[in-house]
Amino acid sequence: MTSARISMELPPCIDSSRAPLAFGTRALPQLTEQLDDPEPVTRRRVLAALCDLVHDPEKAFEAISSGCLEKLKALLQDADNTVRVKTTEVLYLLAAYNLGRGAVLKHDVVALLSDMLDEPVDACRKNVHRVLELLAQFPAGADCVLSLGLVPRLVMKLSEEQEEIQALILATLSSCTWVDALPALASNGVSVLRDLLSHPSSNIRCAATRAMVAISVPAEGKLKVCNEDVLPVLVELLSDSDPGVKANAAGTIMNTAIITKGKLQAIKSGAIPPLLALVDSEDTAVCANALRALTTLAEVPSARLELLKHVSLLETHLDHPTSIISRAAATAVRVITWQP
Amino acid sequence: SSSNHYTTSYSTTQSGIYTFSSSPRAILNCSKYREPIAEQYGNIMYDRRVVRGNTYAQYLLPLTPQPDPSELRRQQEARRRAIERRRTKEQLRLRTPEPVEGRKHVDVQTDLYLLELSDKIDESSVECQTDAFLDRPTTPLFIPVKSGKDVATQIEEGELFDFDVEVRPMLEVLVGKTVEQALLEVMEEEELAILRAQQRAFEELRSAELVEVQRLEEQERRRREEKERRIKQQREALQREKESVEKIAAWAFAKQYLSELLPRVYGMLRDKGYFYDPVERDVETEFLPWVIKEVNNTLGKRYVARTILNTLIRDIAEQRLEAYRQEEQK
Repeated sequence: MTSARISMELPPCIDSSRAPLAFGTRALPQLTEQLDDPEPVTRRRVLAALCDLVHDPEKAFEAISSGCLEKLKALLQDADNTVRVKTTEVLYLLAAYNLGRGAVLKHDVVALLSDMLDEPVDACRKNVHRVLELLAQFPAGADCVLSLGLVPRLVMKLSEEQEEIQALILATLSSCTWVDALPALASNGVSVLRDLLSHPSSNIRCAATRAMVAISVPAEGKLKVCNEDVLPVLVELLSDSDPGVKANAAGTIMNTAIITKGKLQAIKSGAIPPLLALVDSEDTAVCANALRALTTLAEVPSARLELLKHVSLLETHLDHPTSIISRAAATAVRVITWQP
Repeated sequence: SSSNHYTTSYSTTQSGIYTFSSSPRAILNCSKYREPIAEQYGNIMYDRRVVRGNTYAQYLLPLTPQPDPSELRRQQEARRRAIERRRTKEQLRLRTPEPVEGRKHVDVQTDLYLLELSDKIDESSVECQTDAFLDRPTTPLFIPVKSGKDVATQIEEGELFDFDVEVRPMLEVLVGKTVEQALLEVMEEEELAILRAQQRAFEELRSAELVEVQRLEEQERRRREEKERRIKQQREALQREKESVEKIAAWAFAKQYLSELLPRVYGMLRDKGYFYDPVERDVETEFLPWVIKEVNNTLGKRYVARTILNTLIRDIAEQRLEAYRQEEQK
């Protein structure tokens, strides 16, 4: 039977893959001290325990403020594979919090992470890309990624990596491209994305079309999209099964069709009928993007003639509950029925 | 003094108040403390007051030193009366009547079970002989006589340690911690999912606004360009018209101007001597310069000769002057 006296021995080690945790507030400082232990086994266990702890936001804050980021930086270049994988996982968990992202940027960890883009271990690379993706959603993080010149490298990696990592890279690229599209354009991003548009996985297609939307925002992007014959592919994607893909494809068309060349190319590729079909869709994004694409296309006289026949369809959306759609429908109707 | 305050003895008993054998009185001239007595200690062995010998049948002194004679008489009386009473009782005691003639009283036992009364005592002689010497056996364990109630207790199998009860706190901790961790991870993922959804909504709005802005920009630009182009065209047309008007005016004027130009030109040229006789001209252009050149040469030679002459004369004049001067000096 258990006795009431506290035993002098340490508690038994239940899980040998995790280091034993000290009680209460002593847990994190002890783990931090053990991080630079010379034994790789100990380091692995400590990192496994740290991974589990950092899911809790309070513990994550404690970890960051007790400065274990410096040690994690040192561990990123460790020789042992598992240690590196776990370190990147801890960084990924920390980057999910705003404070973590700020600390990661402050301690200049991104430069080290960019060196790890060529890692042989898959799990490690995946975690690195996850961290980059989370960072890029944050404006300062996107600036950091851009300033380190990672965008061209990521574009190059895009064609060689596995599927999941490709999805992560695409997300990172789209976030960065929203901030500044020039590096992506300069490194031939449009053609790489076009190749990915016909990928069998819908995840990849969705992410690729999203990146396309971002790239087609600046003027050079639009020109490039026209030049690289992406529009026929996009028109095909308008009849895709995934609503995200459809929405983003319509978005890219709407962006590209702002320049005259884009408009003409789009009409030539027969974008109008699928777009009209998409206007009736349930998804807000799809409907809104389709309406706006039709608006941009309606500037061309020939398209306007054709669309005049379908004005009634558009007018049904004028009183849609979502304000975006009703506004877009109003603009579309106005543009279509404009007389010079 | 004022401390002397004593009551008179009340010996009346009818009211039931105190009777004193000796009335209380205050002690006078009494010092508070005893004087230290010089005690003489003696040996109790030689003390007359200590009782010696056995005390079982000792004559105890009567309580009072002298017995009260009335008391003594009373006691004797009581003794005598007691003896008498005893004797009378003895006499009055009922005895069995004397036996009738020719009979004898015999004691008979009338109980259910007869007792054998005899003077003879049953005797039996028993002999015993100790055994050969044996070793003293070990003293048996002293088990005291049982006293008190017998109470037994037995611990059954499940009583000391009940697994289900004991394991509960451990299980709670284990399951609790696991569930807590799982909840944390699930919340994290949910948070991330919500963040992403929010971002997507924001991106949509942003792209909507962006597209509108760009479209309107583009429209503006196109219209502006169109306008400018048309204006330029118009301006060019105007320009050309103006030019053509000017040209016509110029042509008319020029025609009118030139009509009288030709005779005047011819006249002016003739005046200026542009129509010339070739021989004359030839003579003028070639011969005359040659002549002049030759004249110049000749004149030049003459000039040179004159100069030489001048120099000669000068030299001679100087020499003469020198000579004359030297002459003069001599």
